Order: sequence, then structure tokens, then C-alpha cells
Amino acid sequence: MKLLVIRTPNQLRLSTALAILAALVFSLGPVARAGAQTLYKSSSQPHASSVRVNGTSTAHDWEMEGVFIGGTLDFGAGVKLDQAQADPAGLQDNKAPAKAHVIIPVRSIHAKVDHLPEVMDGLMQKAMKADKFATIEFTLTSLTFKGPHTAGKPFNFETAGELSIAGVTNKVSFPVTIDCLEEGKIKVSGSAPLKMTAYGIEPPAPNFGLGLMKCGDDVKINFDWTLKERK
Amino acid sequence: MKNKDDLPESNRRDFLKNASLAALMALAGEMKLRADQAVQTATNAGAALTKIPPPPPVNFGVIGLNDWGREILKSLAVMPSAPVVALCDHYGAALRRAAKEAPGAKTYEDYKALLGDPNVQAVVIATPTGTHREIALAALAAGKHVYCEAPLADTIDDAKAIARAAREAVKLVFQAGLQQRSHPEVDFLLPFIRSGALGRNVMARAQWHKRDSWSRTAPTPEREEELNRRLHKATSIGLLGEEGIHQIDIVSCFLHKRPKAVTGFSSLILWTDDGRDVPDTVQAVFEYPAGVNFLYDMTLCNSFEQAYEVYLGSDAALMMRDFKAWMFKEVSAALLGWEPYARHDVFYKETGIGLVANASKQNTLLGTAVSFQPYEHTPLYYALEAFLINAGQQAGAVKDFFQMYPDGDLKDLVENLKTLKTKPAANWQDGLEATVMAIKANEAAVTKQKITFEKEWFEL
Repeated sequence: MKLLVIRTPNQLRLSTALAILAALVFSLGPVARAGAQTLYKSSSQPHASSVRVNGTSTAHDWEMEGVFIGGTLDFGAGVKLDQAQADPAGLQDNKAPAKAHVIIPVRSIHAKVDHLPEVMDGLMQKAMKADKFATIEFTLTSLTFKGPHTAGKPFNFETAGELSIAGVTNKVSFPVTIDCLEEGKIKVSGSAPLKMTAYGIEPPAPNFGLGLMKCGDDVKINFDWTLKERK
Repeated sequence: MKNKDDLPESNRRDFLKNASLAALMALAGEMKLRADQAVQTATNAGAALTKIPPPPPVNFGVIGLNDWGREILKSLAVMPSAPVVALCDHYGAALRRAAKEAPGAKTYEDYKALLGDPNVQAVVIATPTGTHREIALAALAAGKHVYCEAPLADTIDDAKAIARAAREAVKLVFQAGLQQRSHPEVDFLLPFIRSGALGRNVMARAQWHKRDSWSRTAPTPEREEELNRRLHKATSIGLLGEEGIHQIDIVSCFLHKRPKAVTGFSSLILWTDDGRDVPDTVQAVFEYPAGVNFLYDMTLCNSFEQAYEVYLGSDAALMMRDFKAWMFKEVSAALLGWEPYARHDVFYKETGIGLVANASKQNTLLGTAVSFQPYEHTPLYYALEAFLINAGQQAGAVKDFFQMYPDGDLKDLVENLKTLKTKPAANWQDGLEATVMAIKANEAAVTKQKITFEKEWFEL
């Protein structure tokens, strides 16, 4: 937060900026050392994260929810997110040399229904071949900053990566926001639309004896992923 | 309760009748809905069934294969996802006999060898009570989920040691064999009773009556002595401890309190010719807070009215027997609204309002009232099923946790495990509380004294 007092005018030359930065690093110590730590790990505290899967069917819309997202996010050397600043530091062509791997256990996602949620959980797990492919995984391939950024607000990024569900891996791309929280925590939030059939999943069509109900192919995954700076 | 599944003859007939009706309904394409069941829809051939999927499989080892151990095997045999992969009994004949119930299971005469079998994920301990501590502690240390029969132990020290080990084994499921806790009827009644539907608690009463010697015969005197350990005070915590623990537990569970004191009486009246010194008839009075007492009597000399529990409240009484329940309302008590539509049964001079899961006004008006069908399974089945589901779920959640957070904090794991939707079951704390109550009730009965419960007996 001590960086707040330093306002760098646009016309300031790069060498001057570097000199000021170097001075800050040595004078203010580790608190303001930009890019010192870029690796974040999922917070293992319960309900720190959430993932919601929203879908449709011929009968009614449905929702499933999980409260666990595992994995790591490394922004890459030199990248520093400070929401007080206009842009993230350390990007090249607005790209962060980031690496991330996200793990969501299929069986941790449960139907949000009052009556017999086990039935819907079972249908979903069967459709997703959870006995063979127990996790949904995402590997980041690019993280691109989308400006402009309003100081004090979360940053917007566009992600690209490989999403693996039920043994099928597809290239996907979706926007996320990254919010810097207190105590070295960040929250990555986003929403990714996808089609079940693109992952070899037949939309469930359970027969409840009251006529056939068929789920729609399109689903949307919304997530809030909380990570902690690795100490 | 080990003998609750001994249905009286009329119930057995009803059961067979209903069972065949259910089969007929399934063939005819009807839908059967019950509190304890999946939505099962049998439609025309080839149509997919929509039902609760079988839980993830858990490999079982069963230790202790006398009569009760074989009952456990029978329940596991008809349960999906519960393969019995290992059996253990130090008595060869019992082991061989049980092996027929679990074909393919490895057999062990030493429980330590069974615990060393990496294929075993969960064990059921059905050995004599005094051996539970050693086996349960070794099983938890070996990383096995543990279902330990009740009572947990015959001393408070041993029960505490088991409870402590179970508490510390955060990755494992420990279930005490207090079967009623997992029964769907209890699950249905518990919120009803605790909601105050009976008014203020006045008292509770229960009985366990049976005409049975409790004595067993065996080919050798040594084996006979082993089988008849319950008959001798030195190796038995008597009727109240060995059998009464189940009703003592469920009454405390419904009253939602811990008793303050217990006073007991006991006599050896009928079975006097086989050298036993354990009383065949006992009475105990448990004093709960707010002046509520629980009167309990047990005998091996007379089977009149068998076993049941009654809860008396200021507005109504509730009777539970054979996992069916009726409410008897005071005339002055306000109607809750649904009573006229409920099933009514006459008991001598009283009319009981049936408390049946899934009953509805619509059912009554359409003449399709839900009847008192016996539950499809035995209490033991439901308890083992809960153990299977909870153990499988917990094992999956622990694996997921460390996959997501490789160096995750154990405290976070414990918190995360609390988010699991578990099946109702007696945990180590329930097991410890019931065991302490049962041990002390027996002590009070044998010494014909009043014993005041001390807080530290229940705490680790």
C-alpha cells in the first residue's frame, strides 16, 4: 500500500521509473517488492471457493454446486497485481507468463434440490464417467490482461487453456476477473459456457415414470476460486 | 437391537404379503415411493431405471463370526458395493462356517493378519465386548474404517480409549453399532419428538422382555464357556449392558439429554441351574434433568409385550415398537391439523395415531393411505449401509482433498469433511455415551444402588 504515495506520470522515462523502483525495493523492504511472490495455491479452507453448474431441461432449470477448487496459479516472474495501480506490473504485450492447473473433484459437486439429490448426483456422475475420470481439470495456456482497469477494482483477464472433462480435452477460452483480497489472497472468478456433447457426455434423460425429462446440451460453469499467496 | 428383526408371526405374514405385492407392482409398472428408498421406476423393457446409484464400493473385513457376525455377513451379502474380502475368527469351525456366507473372502485366524491385508478398507468388529479395545485401536492404526459393535467396551477406560483413537483418526469413519440411530423410522421421528409435538417431557418407559436362557451349547467345554461369557459377571455387563444399551441409547437420543443418575434392581429368578451369576431380570430408573425419569425393565423370564419404548409428554404419548410409532393425544391437547387424516389403530382402550413417513391427506382421501409396511431391511442392514456410504464418501473426500491441496492442513480437512452429507449413524461420541450409561446401569442394578453419573466419564 505504500506504493500508493508514488504517482508515476506517463511521461516519466523508463530508466527513472526503474531507479525509483529500485530505491523502493531497498528502502521499503519486502512489503513493496514488486513481483517477489507470484505463486498462489488454492485455499483449503471450507467454502473458500465455489463452483456452480447451471443447466436447463425440458422440465425445469437445474443447478449443481461444489465448494472445492484445488490447484495452483503462478503469474510468472515479475508479475505483480496491485489493484491500486492502473495495470498489473510485469506483463509483456498484456500477457502474463502464467501457469495454472485447476482441479475440481466430480463427486464434490452436488445437486441443489431438496428431494433425493443423490439421484441427480448419481445421474451426473454416471454421465461424466466419474468412476474413470474423477476430476475436472483445467490447464492454463495463456492469461491476457484486458484493460482498461479502474484503480481499486478487480482486474479483467482473458484466459485460454485446456479443459478436461470425462476423459475428453478441449481448448477453451473465457474471461475471468482477479480480485486481490486481504492477507495475500486473491479470488479468480469467471464463467465458462460449454456443451456436454463436446465432452462426450450424453445429456441425461432420466425417466421418472412421469414422462421423459431431457437435459439441455448447454451448461454454464460459474466459479469463484480463492487462492493464497504461497509463503 | 439385535432381536428387533425377530418379527412376530403376524408381521412376518404381512411382510411376505407386502413383499410379493411390491414385486407385482414392480412388474406392472407401478411406482413405489418410500422414505427410505430410491425413486425406482420399472417401466417397459429396456427403459433406463432412475434410482439412487450404488455407493462407491468399500471392501469389508469381518472380525468375530459367531451368530451376530454371521448376521452381519448376511446383511453385507445383499448390499450393493459391500464385498466381504476377509474374515477372521480364532475358532476354526466358526471361520469355516462363515466362509460359506462370503465365498472368495480370505480367512484369517489372527485379526492382526486381517488388518495387514491391504485389500481390506473397512472392518466390522463383532467379537466379545472385552476384546473390542485391542482390535479397534489396531484397526484404526492400520487405516481401516471401523464399525464396532455396541457396547464399545465393558469398562469406561476401554470405551474412552476407543473413542479417543476414533476421534484422532480424522481420515477414517468410526461407527458404533447402535443400529437404531441409522434406522429410517428413527430419522423420521427424531425431529418430530424434538420439535415438542408431545408437549413437555413427562417421563419415558421401555421394556425388553424375552423368554430365553441366553445360554449356548458347543462341542467343547472351552468353547461353551467362551460362548456363554454373558452369563458371568466377571465377563459380562449383563442384560442392561449387553442388550439394554440400544434402548438406553435411543431414549437418551429422543430425550436429547444425558441422565444425571441411575438406580437399579436385579434378580436371578428363572435360569438358576446352569451356574450363572448374571441376573435374568433387571429394572433401572434413569433420572434426567427437569424431573424426567426413564423407567426400564428387562427380563429373560417372560416375553409379554416384548420390546418397546413409550414417551409421555404433557400433550401426547408416543409408542415405538418394531420400528413403528403411534401417538396417543390428550383430549385437551390442541390438534396439529393432520391427525384426522392419519392412520388410526386401536390398542385396548386407546386409539393410536400412526406416525408413518410419507403419509398425506391426499392419500387418506383417495383411500390409498400409506400402510404400516415393515421396513424392507433389518435395523442392522440400515446401520451397515450407513457405514458403507459414509466410509466410501469419506475415503473419496480425503483423496480429493489431498489431490486438490497436496500439503493441506488437517484442520481444514476436518472442516471440509463436515460438509459431507452423511447418513445418520452413531459416532464415537454416541458410542462412548451409550456405553458409559449401560455399564453404570448394570453396575447400579447388580449392586442395587443409585449411581450419579460423573461428567468426566463421558469426556475424553
